[in-house]
Amino acid sequence: MRKLILSVLVLVLSLEMAPGQGLYSPGSPKDDGRFAASTKQVNQFFRRFNAEESVDGSKRYYSEDPLYRDRELRGKFISILFDNETSGITNELKSEFMREVLSENMPQYINFHREGWFAEVEAFFSYRGKRENVTLFLKIQPEGLGYEWVIDKVIFQPFKDIFNKPEGDAKGFLHPLSHELGFMNLRKAFQDSDTPEAFTPKEYQPDYLTLFLYEMKRGNIRFETISDVKFHFFQINNWYFELNQFNRPGFNTGWLIGNLVKLSNGDKETLLRYIYDQK
Amino acid sequence: MKKYIPLFLLLFFATAAVSVAQSDNISPARKQAIDSLALEKVKDLSKYISIIGSKETQFSEANRVMDRAEELFAPGAEMGVSSLNRKEIAYYKVRRYFERLMALNYDRVNITWYDIHYISDLERQPDGRYVGVVTVYQRFEGTSLESGLNYRDTTKKDITIYVEKKQTQIAGRTIEFWDVMLGDIRVTETSA
Repeated sequence: MRKLILSVLVLVLSLEMAPGQGLYSPGSPKDDGRFAASTKQVNQFFRRFNAEESVDGSKRYYSEDPLYRDRELRGKFISILFDNETSGITNELKSEFMREVLSENMPQYINFHREGWFAEVEAFFSYRGKRENVTLFLKIQPEGLGYEWVIDKVIFQPFKDIFNKPEGDAKGFLHPLSHELGFMNLRKAFQDSDTPEAFTPKEYQPDYLTLFLYEMKRGNIRFETISDVKFHFFQINNWYFELNQFNRPGFNTGWLIGNLVKLSNGDKETLLRYIYDQK
Repeated sequence: MKKYIPLFLLLFFATAAVSVAQSDNISPARKQAIDSLALEKVKDLSKYISIIGSKETQFSEANRVMDRAEELFAPGAEMGVSSLNRKEIAYYKVRRYFERLMALNYDRVNITWYDIHYISDLERQPDGRYVGVVTVYQRFEGTSLESGLNYRDTTKKDITIYVEKKQTQIAGRTIEFWDVMLGDIRVTETSA
């Protein structure tokens, strides 16, 4: 018992005698403003974009706070939410975007729970013993008592290489009177051809996610690690922006808009096809 | 003294819980109280890490502190570490991370924490628990006397916090309180 008391005493004393070691201890290094300026979390990007926190981020603003979604504060926040060092987004484009987002009549906000934004995750998996790049797309959805991130799509090159539907003369087909022969020529599609996808409808798209999960369940694919994350936003009418993390010296760091595109009719679908298929 | 902090907090939250005991929503005032509790846990962790890493800490003492530090975490919590040169995440169980920290081959190690933090909103999970992230910045300085080499880095630590409403019996009464556990930690080396 005495030993136990002594041990606890030593532990407590050692904790008390560790000045300058813990968070906010005397002697803590001072932030010169760089960490304060950095958009440290995606959550902070949302709050800054909507002006839902104080300038230093220490106070969360709610609807009853006078500065909640204050237009002037939002303007200041949004102006620091662009990557100013590498992305090359023109000042004119930024100004046009800010004018629309900060519109006095119809201001636009981003919302964590609303559709129109998703994550793109670069990961490494081992597939049949070989290290492979995999791109996962995740979205947030309501579930049970709250919300969850779910895997929505996957890009996996080995699968894409397998499904390569031939076109034109190279494309095999089942002739239009195949039915009269009881489709006996299916043998050509399934046995003689190495591109059975040639015999699928025009709109056929392989479901890579199902294949991916199947291979994982079979033990052929194993997760290794994550290498990068970014987010795509379509929540602002007629605009798309990409959110990237910038880890570099200076004050323009953290989660910032790395790509900004004004969308015309049909652009959103084209952009989504590009993002999902990398075409 | 440390052992009584949970009791103190429990009473504090139990008092605060009376008016909205039936509600599972987190009001701004409640959120602020939970933030304080979460920050206390993060402060404890930061102190433990500094002690575990210090070369002046004896082996047996470091092990005891590791035990205390582990108690802050929900089961299965992991540290995901990346550096400026290597963006891929290396995964360590919390205990393993502490052990590696203790075994670092420096004669002098000094771990300090910047005077800044950021606390996210709390989001509800499917199981009803709330989850948030606290971000802090750590400075590490290691000196090797023989080679005279100094190593220094600054890491950003994004610490998961789980917030759960629990119940306890005090003097025959059921008191509800909010408890905070730490979860996975993402450790990123910064350019600072």
